[in-house]
Amino acid sequence: MRVGVFICHCGSNIAGTVDVARAAAELRKVPGVAFATNYMYTCSEPGQDEIKQAIKRENLDRIVVAACSPRMHELTFRRTIEKAGLNRYFLEMANIREHISWVGLDKEANTIKAIETIKMAVAKVMQNKPLYSSSFKINKRVLVIGGGVAGMQAALDCGDGGLEVVLVEKSPSVGGMMARLDKTFPTIDCSICILGPKMVDVAQHDKIKLYAYSEIEDIKGYVGNYEVKIRKKATYVDWTKCTGCGLCMEKCPSKNSYDYFNFGVAPTKAINIPFPQAIPKKAKIDPDFCRQFTKGKCGVCAKICPTGAINYEMQDEIVTEEVGAIVVASGYGLIDMDKFPEYGGGRYPDVITGIQYERLLNASGPTEGHIVRPSDHTEPKTVVFVSCAGSRDKSLGIPYCSNFCCMYIAKQAILTKDHIPDSQSYVFYMDIRSPGKGYDEFTRRAQEDYGAKYVRGRVSRIYPKGKKLVVVGADTLLGTQVEVEADLVVLATAVTAAPGAAQLAEKLHISYDTFGFYVESHPKLRPVETNTSGVFLAGAAQGPKDIPASVGQGSAAAAKVLALFSKDMLESDPAVAKVNENTCVGCLKCKLTCPFGAIQEKELRGGKIVASVIETVCAGCGVCTSTCPCGAIQLSHFTDNQLLAEVNAICQK
Amino acid sequence: MSLDKLKQIITDVMKEVDVVIGYKQGFDPLHATPCFITKPEQVDQVIWNPLCVQNLASYLTSLKKKVGVIVKGCDSRTIVQFMQEGLIDRSKVVVIGIPCTGVVSVRKVLEKVKHEPIEEVKFSDDGMVIVKTPSGETKMALSEVAPDKCETCQYPTPVLYDHLAGEPITSTKDPQSVFKDIEEFDKKSLEEKKAYWEKEFDRCIRCYACRNACPMCVCQDSCIAESREPHWVSQKSNLTEKMMFHMIHALHLAGRCVECGECERACPMGIPVNKLKRKINSDMKVLFGYEPGVKPEDKPPMFTFSVEEKNIEEHKL
Repeated sequence: MRVGVFICHCGSNIAGTVDVARAAAELRKVPGVAFATNYMYTCSEPGQDEIKQAIKRENLDRIVVAACSPRMHELTFRRTIEKAGLNRYFLEMANIREHISWVGLDKEANTIKAIETIKMAVAKVMQNKPLYSSSFKINKRVLVIGGGVAGMQAALDCGDGGLEVVLVEKSPSVGGMMARLDKTFPTIDCSICILGPKMVDVAQHDKIKLYAYSEIEDIKGYVGNYEVKIRKKATYVDWTKCTGCGLCMEKCPSKNSYDYFNFGVAPTKAINIPFPQAIPKKAKIDPDFCRQFTKGKCGVCAKICPTGAINYEMQDEIVTEEVGAIVVASGYGLIDMDKFPEYGGGRYPDVITGIQYERLLNASGPTEGHIVRPSDHTEPKTVVFVSCAGSRDKSLGIPYCSNFCCMYIAKQAILTKDHIPDSQSYVFYMDIRSPGKGYDEFTRRAQEDYGAKYVRGRVSRIYPKGKKLVVVGADTLLGTQVEVEADLVVLATAVTAAPGAAQLAEKLHISYDTFGFYVESHPKLRPVETNTSGVFLAGAAQGPKDIPASVGQGSAAAAKVLALFSKDMLESDPAVAKVNENTCVGCLKCKLTCPFGAIQEKELRGGKIVASVIETVCAGCGVCTSTCPCGAIQLSHFTDNQLLAEVNAICQK
Repeated sequence: MSLDKLKQIITDVMKEVDVVIGYKQGFDPLHATPCFITKPEQVDQVIWNPLCVQNLASYLTSLKKKVGVIVKGCDSRTIVQFMQEGLIDRSKVVVIGIPCTGVVSVRKVLEKVKHEPIEEVKFSDDGMVIVKTPSGETKMALSEVAPDKCETCQYPTPVLYDHLAGEPITSTKDPQSVFKDIEEFDKKSLEEKKAYWEKEFDRCIRCYACRNACPMCVCQDSCIAESREPHWVSQKSNLTEKMMFHMIHALHLAGRCVECGECERACPMGIPVNKLKRKINSDMKVLFGYEPGVKPEDKPPMFTFSVEEKNIEEHKL
C-alpha cells in the first residue's frame, strides 16, 4: 500500500499556526506513507494537479489530504483522485484547520496535534475499501410545508416548472403572516391585495394539491423517494359540501371563541371562516368553544347549513403522499406578552403587539380598519411603539435582531397618522435598522413627513394611570428620563421559531439552532439547502426575514428542486450499513433501533434469520452498528476496524 | 412445596410437550444437575432442594421443540426477558414455577468445609444445611451460604408461570436494598474502583464460562471477543484485553441482565462479574425506569430509538 499525504497551507489559515513542512517530514517516516508534501492551496487547480501527478509518478493508491473540514472539500478531492484512476473512497481528509489551526495559537502544540491527526487519517485510509454507488429513480413530486408567502412562491414556481406539488398548511387557510398584515413597507401596498391573487393561483393551479388545516405526521425515506404521512385535522365540516356561504358563522350562538387569525383582538364564532379572502374559503369548527362539543347540545350550524356539510363525528384522517424533495417554509412565531411583566405582561388591554395592531388597521379586521383601544373602543390620540420587545435581549435568550420590526413600526406610525390625523406617535428604539432598498428613506418619512417622534432608548416600565398608560423610558441622546402618557402601546414583540419547529426538524432530519431556526447548509453559498439532501428551506423558518427575502428564498428553493429533478436518476451513497450474514445472529435489535426503518428481516435458504439493510433507505447514521452485539452490521467507510485503526494510531504507548 | 406435587405436574405437562427440563442429583451430594425428561419413567429422577441452582431457562433459546421448564422466581425473569426480546415462542414453552425460599452457593459451602469430599447433604426444617465430610458434620444456616442474589430477592414466586408447584410466597426483603451493595461500591473513588477491577479481572483466564452460562447472550459462536472482523479484542492475555472483554459483555447486557447470577456462579476464578451488570441495571432504572424481565409487555430501552429521552437532557432547546 502506498499512501500519499498532501498537507495544505490554506494560505496562512493553517501554515500560520502549524509547521506544515515539519508535519510532512514526520509523515514520511510513517510506515505505508510513500509520499508526503505540503502545498499552498491544495484545493486550487494546480494543487489538485499536484495530487493527480503524484498518484501517477509515485504510484500512490491511497490519498490523505490534510486541510479543511471534509464538509468543505471532501467531494472536491474525491473527484480529483477519481480522475487519476483511484476509487473515490480511497481518500481521507484530516481536518487540521477547523479542528487545529483555527482553535489554537501554540504552534508547537498545534503541529504535534496535526501530525497525530494526519497519522489517524493514514491509518484509516489504509483500511479503506473501494465502494461503488448505485443509481435509483426519483419521484418528481415536491412537498412544500407551509402555505405562507415563501411556501406559496415555492409551490407556484415548482408548479409552473411542471412539477406536481403537495402543499401542506397547518391553519385553515393559506396566506400565513402576510395575509394578516394591513399594508406592506416601503410602498404601502395593501398586503392582501397583492397576496390574494397568489393565494387564488395556488388554489387553482392544476399542479398544486393543497392540504389546508393539515400537519406533517411522519416522513420516511430519502432524497428522491420520500413517503409523507399527512394528518388532515378534523374540521367537523365536510369541505366537499361547504360553499363558504358563511350562514353558519352568522347564526352560531357561541360568540366567544378565540380568534387565532386575528391574534385574539376580538372574539370570533366557534364555527368560522378565518377571513374573507381565505383559501380555501371553508368553515371549520373550533371544538374548544363549540357548544355541541363543550355542552353536548346545540346543533344550530347543522340545522342552518344549506348543503348539510356539518359532521360532528368527523375524525382526523391520515393520508400518504410520495414525493422526491421537500421545501420547508414553516414560518415563524412571536414571543408571548407574558415574558414582559414590566410592560404589564398582557394584563393591560391597551398594550398590544405589532401583529394585533395590524389587524386593527386592516379594513377586513375585526374593527373594519378603525383604530380603537381594545379597552373602551375609543380612538387613541397618543400611540407609543416599543421596538425590540424581546429582540436583542440576552436575558430572554434572544440575542438576535427580529429583522423587520423597525420597518413595520415606521409603517404603522405612518398609517396611524393617516387614520387619525390629530394623533401623535412615539417610537422608542435601540437602533433603526433599515438596510433594504428604499427602507431608510421610508423610516425618515415617518419622522419628517408624519411627525412620529423617535426616542432613542428603551422603555423600562408601563403602568396605568386613569384611562391612560404611562410609558417610562430613557432618552439616551438627551440623557434624560422620558414619560409619555399614551392611549395605546404597541410592542414589537420578538420573532421566534414557529411552535413545533424542533419536532418538525426531527421528522425531517435537518438541524436547527439553539433558537429553533433551521440551519442552512452554508450561510453564504448554500442559503436554501440543508445538510439533508432533498430538503430545502424558504422564508422565516430559517431566521427572521421580511417579505421580499422570503419570496426570493421561495423561488430559490424551487430552483434547487427543479435542478435536482432535472436528472432522472440519482446516485446513492455507498457509505451505508451492511450485514455480514455469516456472523449475524438474527437478534434483530438493529431493526428495532433503526430510526429510518431501513432494516428488514431476511430468511436464508437454511432457514437462518438475518438482518438485511435496504441500501437506499439507510442514512448511514450508525445506530445499528452500535446496537449489534456481535459486530455483524458494519457501516461501510466507517467500520469498527477503520475506527479502531484510528484509535490505535493515536494511542501508541 | 412437595416434590410429589412437582412430579405430578411434570407428568401432566409431559402429555403436551416433547421434553421437560428439571433437576436431578449430580456427581456428588452437593451438586444438582439439569435433566431432560422425555419419558414418563424418568420423572422419578427429579429432585427439588436448595442445591437446584442452575437457571434452566437458559436452554430455551436453543431448543426448537415444545418444552416444559422448571423455574425459580429469579429464573422466570429470563423467560419474561426472552419474550420482550422476541427470542422464544411463548406458545412452545410451558412454565412450571416453583416458589423458592432460597438456594445455596456451592462455592460458599465448599469454603466452609474446606473443599473436603462431600458424603451427604441434608436440609433441616429450621433452615439449616448439614454437610457430612470425612472429618465430620458441619452445620450451617441456609442464609449463611446463600448466594448474594437471594439476600435481596424480590421475586421468590415466579413472575410468570403456567403451573405453580406450591403456594405463592411474597418477598420480605426491602426493595430499597436491591442495589445497596452497588451504592456502597459507588462511594469508592475512581482510583479505588479501578484498582478493585484490575485486581479482579487480572485473574480472568478468558475461558468465557461467564458468557456461555449467560442466558441473555445471543451471539453465541459469533462473539465479538473472538472475532477478527471487527477486531475489538485481541488474543493477548493481558489486563486491558480481559477488561475490554468484560466491558463488552456488560454493555451487551445493558437493560437486559435479569440478574440470575449464572455468570458469577460459572466463573472458575470467583470474579464478581455480575456486579458490573447490576451497576448498569441500577443506572437503567434511574434513566429509563426499567427493570429487565418483569413485565412481558415492556420494551427494553436499548431496543428503541427516540430522539428525546425523558430523563436524558442532551437535546433540549
